[in-house]
Formats: sequence, structure tokens, C-alpha cells
Amino acid sequence: MTRNNLLLLALFVVLAFVPQIFTDGYVRHLFIIAFIYAIIASNWNLSLGHCGIFNFGHMTFFGIGVYTAAILTKTAGVNPWLAIPACAVTAAISAVIMAAPVARLKGIYVVLVTFAVNQLMVQLVLSQADLTGGAKGLVRLPFLTIGDYSFIRDYKLGYYYLALILLALSTAFLILVAGSPFGKSLKAVRDAEDYATARGISVARTRISVLVLSAIFTGIAGGFYTVYLRVASPEVFGFGTMSLVLSMVLIGGINSVLGPVIAALALTFASEAMAGIGGFEDARYIVIAVAMILVLRLAPGGLIQILERLAPTGQKPATPTRSPA
Amino acid sequence: MNDTILEVVDASKHFAGLKAVNGVSFGVTRGEILGIAGPNGSGKSTLFNLITGVPFGPTSGEIRFQGQRIDRWPAHRIARAGLARTFQKDAEFPDLTADETLLICGTYNGQLGRVAARTRSDEVLGLVGFADTRRGIPSRNLSVYEKKQLMIASGLMSRPAVLMLDEPASGLTKPEIENLDRLLVAVNASGVTVLLIEHVLSLLLSISQRLIVLNQGSVLAEGNPAEVVRNEAVITAYLGGRKQ
Repeated sequence: MTRNNLLLLALFVVLAFVPQIFTDGYVRHLFIIAFIYAIIASNWNLSLGHCGIFNFGHMTFFGIGVYTAAILTKTAGVNPWLAIPACAVTAAISAVIMAAPVARLKGIYVVLVTFAVNQLMVQLVLSQADLTGGAKGLVRLPFLTIGDYSFIRDYKLGYYYLALILLALSTAFLILVAGSPFGKSLKAVRDAEDYATARGISVARTRISVLVLSAIFTGIAGGFYTVYLRVASPEVFGFGTMSLVLSMVLIGGINSVLGPVIAALALTFASEAMAGIGGFEDARYIVIAVAMILVLRLAPGGLIQILERLAPTGQKPATPTRSPA
Repeated sequence: MNDTILEVVDASKHFAGLKAVNGVSFGVTRGEILGIAGPNGSGKSTLFNLITGVPFGPTSGEIRFQGQRIDRWPAHRIARAGLARTFQKDAEFPDLTADETLLICGTYNGQLGRVAARTRSDEVLGLVGFADTRRGIPSRNLSVYEKKQLMIASGLMSRPAVLMLDEPASGLTKPEIENLDRLLVAVNASGVTVLLIEHVLSLLLSISQRLIVLNQGSVLAEGNPAEVVRNEAVITAYLGGRKQ
């Protein structure tokens, strides 16, 4: 087991005991939101960091999950326990649709197409108000229960552990993917596309596959998010949420699984702490932006690179040598 | 029996008005070492690109490999069919170790499982003389010669029928070039047909059984290496004519 994976394991053990320490619903709520962000950020990192696809449409997969769960539970009356996994399927299908044009594009064109798909989804949600609730969204969705036990009880204890389990499953999935020959081929495609092709790797197929894989847990996170908050609104496709999650990826460290998870936890709580300081509510976004610039400038490998500098393993940290395509 | 393993028929690549490769035709006999020479910009690397489809195929003409027309195939399919090539630049996966590089080459190109890929890695790294102690180091930290060894080893993972080398001696010291000479002869002796683009004439002439010289995208001369290098047109193309 690598040092980073050991750190992750230790982190999850600590997180499992957090509800024993923090018993109020608000702190647990912050952890739940941080776990959701951690899932989105670490899965975004799979396509952005590992494969070098500058995918600005990753939040689309999250939004698809949000609206899949919301429509299934609110309109179709599907049990939330079934609606949440269904989000993986719809998000993966949307990834295939997005990947088709992206697979053969490079650079700024990838950004433009993926961002356009994201905007297209916003318009679709707004225009199909009968189904999606339009700009008002869908509210008062059914919450999770097991028998007579509602997850909203016990200061969100059930939601906390379910979010933690989802993050653990997502992280295990990402470690498995990153460690597989397919995971190694992502870095090959990112760093030397021609060389990879000349060794039998289909660049287009690799890009499609990684977008689909990165969409699965992001969609599930979207489904869980909307069932937890009991609301679905078009804001989930917005630039603000996207910027926050992107900063988690970049500050945490692209090219690692652990980095974005740590950054999601740190930024969620840092942002909340700054919001509590009078007159600092909006300035916190400036602070996060400055932090992102400083990290990119001083340690392009992110928090993970800083950790590795503090406790070197004898090998150079794995930072990408090229900008994402 | 026709023993031509690779055939290039009237292949051209035009970029707007530039004819990078213009109506090139030649055949490669199974098991030979074919040298390809020519001044900078003569179309040597572009010719390799057209044959392998990486990153582009020909504008016109045909490429036939083991009897099949491959010039419209996707490049990764051409590689999997048994045409392996190396590059002058971007010749590494910087984040991947030698073991990881060979694992993916064995998996994708050779269609091997993990265990079979590991066994084949041992074979090819032994063949190219790559030190075992360097197998776990990210490629970006390898020396120029080690990177060249690894690139050749990665090409051999799938047991290709043809290995195409694009200036493998560039940036190497004299002893390393001598090692490379022995390595390429050993690779060829194992049954792999070799196409070699090289500016280091000592290497090219020492191992090539036949030589093609390109100039301005066309074949200028072809034949026995010793005779081709005495060809007046070749001397003029390379040196601008004999010194008086």
C-alpha cells in the first residue's frame, strides 16, 4: 500500500469517529457537503489531472444526477434508494454524449465544447419547467428512510455515514482505476499522445472511457445531494459551484486521488469559517482564488506536492509535464 | 514467394503547397535492416508518420503491410497489427516507470495479461540491456540512453514484425552508439524487420543491408549502402557537391 493510500485510510478512520466528537447537525452538515464536493473534485481529477482533458462540463454530470434523482423521486415516485444509483447511469450516458465531440478535440476547443454542453443543460432544465420546475427548481423531495427510521433524525447521523460511505467507495474506485493499466494509459495519453497511439492505445476511446468513469460517482453524488437537501435547482450547473470544485482539484493537486479529497474538506471548512467573519462573506472567494494562484505558482502539484516535499519518498512528485489538452 | 512485408506505393503527403513526401515507393523485405537517410527536411520522419498513421496518414498513395492495405486504418490498429515505431521527441511517458510503461504497452499493443506482460518486460529489458535497478524510476528521471532503451523495449513488447526507429542515436555518446549497434543487430536477428532513420552514418552504414536516400520528399537513391553513399546526387544533396 502506498503512503498516500495509507493516509487516505487513516483519514477515513478519523472521519468515521467525527460524529462522536461533533454532535450538532450544522458541523455534520458541513462534513456531508465537503464529502460531496470531495467526490466531485476527485472524479473530475480523473479526467482533468490523470488524462489531461480540460473538461469544463464535469458539473454537468453532477447536475444530471441532481435532476435524475429529483425527477425520479418527485415526479415518478421512485424510492430515493433506487433513484440515487440510477443517477450513475444517466450521468454516464450524458458523458458518452459529451465525449463524442471531445474525443478528437484539443486545447481550448475541449473547454468550449464542454462548457457549451453545460450551458445547454441549463437551458434544457429551464425550458422544460413542467418536468424540472424551471428556474424555481423542484422542492420538498422525499428523504431517505430505512423502515421507520428517517435519515434526518439524530442530527443527520445517517446522512453523514452514507456520504462517508459514498466517498470511500468513490475513492476506492478511483484508486483501482488509477492503478490499473487503463489508469497508466491515461497518463500516457496526457503526456505523449503520439507515443501512446504508436503503442496501440486508442486516444479517442481512452478519453471517452475516462469521461464516462468520472461521471459515475459524480452522478451518484448529485443524486445524493438533491435527496439530502430535498431540492433541485439549476444553480448546480452554475459557474460559482464549478469554480469552487475546480479550485479543490487544483489546490489539492491534480494527478492524485488524495489531494482533491483533502482540499475539499479544507476549503469547505475554510470557506465556512471565513463566512462567519463580519464583512468577509464575499471576500472569502477572493481568498480561495488567491490561494489557488499561489499553489499553482509555488507548488503546481498542489497540497500533495507540498506534503511530499515535507516528507520526501526519494522520488520526484508526479506532476504533469504538460498543460491539460 | 513474395517476401515483401511492407510496401509503400506512390505515397504522398502535402501540407497546402508543401510536398513533404512526394510519390515515394519502395518495398521492405522480411527480415532486412533498411536504412533511410537524407538531409534535414527531406521527409524521413514524415514517411514514418505516413506508414504508421501517427499522427497522420498519406494524402494519396497506398501502404501495404503483410498483404493488407493499412493507410486508412486508425493508427492504434496499425500499431497492434505489428508495426512499432520510435520517435525523436516526446520519447517517454514522464510519470510512468519502465515497468508501468511496458505494462501498458503489453496490455494494449500486445494484448497481454499482467503476468504475461511482466514476463515479456523481463525479456525485452534484458534484450536492450536496461538495468533492473532503474525499472521503478519515473521515466523523466532516466538518462537519454535509458529513455532510448525503454522506447525500443516498449516497441518490442508486442513482438512486432517491423520496428521503425527514428534517429535512435541522436544525443548518444560513442560507446552508447556502439551498444545501440549491437542491440539493433540482436533485435533483427530475433526475426524483427528494422527500418532505421539515422544521421549517424557510421551506425547506418554498419548495420543497414539496403539504403534509401530521400531528398525534398522524393527517393533520390536506393540500393547497397556502400554504393549509395558514393552516388553523386546523394553527395550533392548532403554536402552541396564535392569540394574541389
